[in-house]
Amino acid sequence: MASSKLAEDLRGIVGKANVLDAGVGLHLYGYDAYLEERRPDAVVFVHSTDEVAGVVRACHERGVPFVARGGGTNLSGGTIPVKGGVVIETIRMNKILEIDRANLRARVQPGMFNLEFGNALAPLGYQYLPDPASQKAATLGGNVGENSGGPHCLKYGVTTNHVFGLTVVLPDGEVAHLGGKAPDAPGYDLTGTFVGGEGTLGICTEIVARIVRLPEGVKTLLAIYDRIEDGGETVSAIVAAGMVPATLEMMDQLVIQAVEQSMKCGLPLDCATVLIIEVDGLADDLEQQAQTIADLCRKHGAREVRVAENDAERAALWAGRRGAFGAVARITPSYLVCDGTVPRTALPTVLRKVAEVSRKYDLMIPNVFHAGDGNLHPLILFDWRNAEQKVRVMKAGMEILELCVQMGGTISGEHGVGIEKMDAMRLVFSEADIRAQLKVKRAFDRRDLSNPGKMFPAPREATDAA
Amino acid sequence: MPHELDDLPQRLSGIMGGEQVREGTAASGFSVDGAEPSLVVHPGSQEEVEAAVVACGKAGAVVVPWGGGTAIGLGNPPSRLDVVVCLDRLARIVEFDEANLNVSAEAGVRLADLQAVLAGKHEFLPLDPPQADRVTVGGLVATNSSGPSRLHYGTARDWVLGLRVVLPYGERIRCGGKVVKNVSGYDMNKLFIGSLGTLGIVTEATFKLLPVPAMRVTIVGLFRELAQAAAVVACTLESQLLPEALEALDSQALGAVASAIGLTDPSGYGLAIAVAGSRETVERQVRDFTRLLAESQATATTTLGGAQGAAAWQAIGDVQARMGVTSEERVVVKIAVPIGKTLELLSSAERLARHNGWRGAVTAHAGSGIVRAGYLVGGATLESLRDGLRALRGQAESAEGSLVVETAPAALKCSLDAWGKPPEAAEVMRRLKVEFDPRGLVSPGRFLAGI
Repeated sequence: MASSKLAEDLRGIVGKANVLDAGVGLHLYGYDAYLEERRPDAVVFVHSTDEVAGVVRACHERGVPFVARGGGTNLSGGTIPVKGGVVIETIRMNKILEIDRANLRARVQPGMFNLEFGNALAPLGYQYLPDPASQKAATLGGNVGENSGGPHCLKYGVTTNHVFGLTVVLPDGEVAHLGGKAPDAPGYDLTGTFVGGEGTLGICTEIVARIVRLPEGVKTLLAIYDRIEDGGETVSAIVAAGMVPATLEMMDQLVIQAVEQSMKCGLPLDCATVLIIEVDGLADDLEQQAQTIADLCRKHGAREVRVAENDAERAALWAGRRGAFGAVARITPSYLVCDGTVPRTALPTVLRKVAEVSRKYDLMIPNVFHAGDGNLHPLILFDWRNAEQKVRVMKAGMEILELCVQMGGTISGEHGVGIEKMDAMRLVFSEADIRAQLKVKRAFDRRDLSNPGKMFPAPREATDAA
Repeated sequence: MPHELDDLPQRLSGIMGGEQVREGTAASGFSVDGAEPSLVVHPGSQEEVEAAVVACGKAGAVVVPWGGGTAIGLGNPPSRLDVVVCLDRLARIVEFDEANLNVSAEAGVRLADLQAVLAGKHEFLPLDPPQADRVTVGGLVATNSSGPSRLHYGTARDWVLGLRVVLPYGERIRCGGKVVKNVSGYDMNKLFIGSLGTLGIVTEATFKLLPVPAMRVTIVGLFRELAQAAAVVACTLESQLLPEALEALDSQALGAVASAIGLTDPSGYGLAIAVAGSRETVERQVRDFTRLLAESQATATTTLGGAQGAAAWQAIGDVQARMGVTSEERVVVKIAVPIGKTLELLSSAERLARHNGWRGAVTAHAGSGIVRAGYLVGGATLESLRDGLRALRGQAESAEGSLVVETAPAALKCSLDAWGKPPEAAEVMRRLKVEFDPRGLVSPGRFLAGI
């Protein structure tokens, strides 16, 4: 730790029981769902905006880095304290402060799990739309930091489209309320800038989220294909027919097999891909929409289309998709999740090329993807104990990102840059683009203390020597 | 123009040709809140915008970008103005990727022209700002302008996928991209949307699009009391119905759009409801809303389809803009409050006119928290307007909202800040401005907190 005086101050702010600065426990806060780890010097458990402000002020005074942490589900290393310092664990700030139906807003604390929030709203007939697949364990604060997506973002957008205000502790310890229940707050859209800032612009301690009524009806279909290209073409055909389903999800054969081994969802082991399609909204035309979609699936080569007739059947169709990442872990001890995004019509091509990458590096790469928005998640399987294999994994991952960029896409759809994709930033951005982003970082965090060592590639060396 | 700018016209002519650089009286018609530019330039490409900004920067000349001019009245008077960079020649639709539902267009493309091209492939950009026939892509982004259908579709921040921007020191950058999910780096689009040209000049935008709904119908109800209209709004927001727009009009606004909505001599308050989608869902919503209006003691209702509905919405959206030709003739303010307070503020804005005997028009996006009030100067003095608007702003701010002056005579702007009370994070905003525009050469003084 930079000084034991800091630990003393931290105890003064949050109480002795809420500071961890020695022992094996520290290791538990040094990793997330990415592949690296770095032990923090201290972990503090915070319970209020004031406590967060106090902790951040103490860090700022001493020039000690800090990282906010929620559920630790981040896939790009966003919560790993790569420069050491203090991990600020927000998981105990997990309350709904207000559900304001008249204004269609809720105020929630950042440590609440996404699914828990949804479960609290549902009995009232309301919902919060962003639904990352990790929603059981991912916190709303983490969703804000990463601008998380999820299956429903095809129709409803990502976190930033549903967050209207934030209470933030800026990296110097000042507290600011950005946006709020009223729309169009004058000034720069700092709420929109902060969302997706990956914790590098400060720490959010309260969220003003939009809530909406649950849809009157939902219809879920599952289409089974013998050729993965047919699934991809169905996706484009549905969109070309003028429909915007709530979700359009795909899984390939390897994932289906893993899912079946793990939870027996009744998916055929010999099929190439399944497509999960959901339409929602007013009940009046859902039957017809489902019928049109089923026809399009069959027209594009689906060998079977299943339509959920009730909530239990709907849950069954979804179970495989929601459990896909977990099921794949049965095959090998580790995997690297790629998070490239391409224009959706490029999906069939990029899938073919991912298969080539898989052969080239001799690695198994099952695929789960949000087909409707062109966001693919190839899972590169490996054993972390095999150092040589890990090198191939990293190369293959980079190659897949390069493919996505070549197809007009980008390097991250929803998992963030973190430490994983810092170098890949140069695949999509010019030096001028990156310099402009660094201006934002400096305006918020002049001393580079809030989650340092993330997002930005190392500055290019001056290349005067010709 | 400062002395050191003497050879700037020649430099700019060298970049874009002499006929695209106007000086003196030829530059009139581009004044910003009474400030007359020395030069007006019309670059023909994004590269020329970049070169022009670099040349102006070297000369220390202050630049203000200009799109369709529809929202040039927004903001405080510039603290200085040398060159207006008019983007009218950046009128190219760069790429329309209909299969992936996105389009990239240069800043000077008029929204109406863009929509016409999109409609050819049964797609549309669901943004309907006032004066949609004149507003440009760049202006729409820079001012974050929106209209009644934000209830269902949101605002520019929900539809911009990517931007190209010329920064104040002349670098061209790209923000975002073409794909609908993108968390590669900071969400820089958000920073530039609504920044009123104070951080740079937006030269191109990429938007997400939607398929055109099969059908769209507008239902208008009239009410003796505002409370009756408010009951319909509350009932709708609690329901699972999904209207595209829910617009309330005071009696003066109602009078101004009477012929467009096909109601002769309407009185009281109006509520216009747009529903769109498949035939089944539209017919069902028309049924439900018609019943709801009747149950809520509407004195008259009418249903408009197709072109008639579109004309009605254009008239409603433009009602304040049509109250006068120049900014010296009218004041238009936008009030933003939590949704539940919308009609309370509409009522206050209406009362202000009635109490003072002013001519005006007040409308509200009743399900979105936005009230737009226009008042004619003439019957109203600047002093009475200033005092009245201050009181209205006080009410909006005590409801955690804001009142922004969108158009006003320059004299009024001297005594009434366009934006109101500086936000809590004003210091971060100032630091952003300094990072992007350390010399204060792009739209200085127009934003809030002295930015």
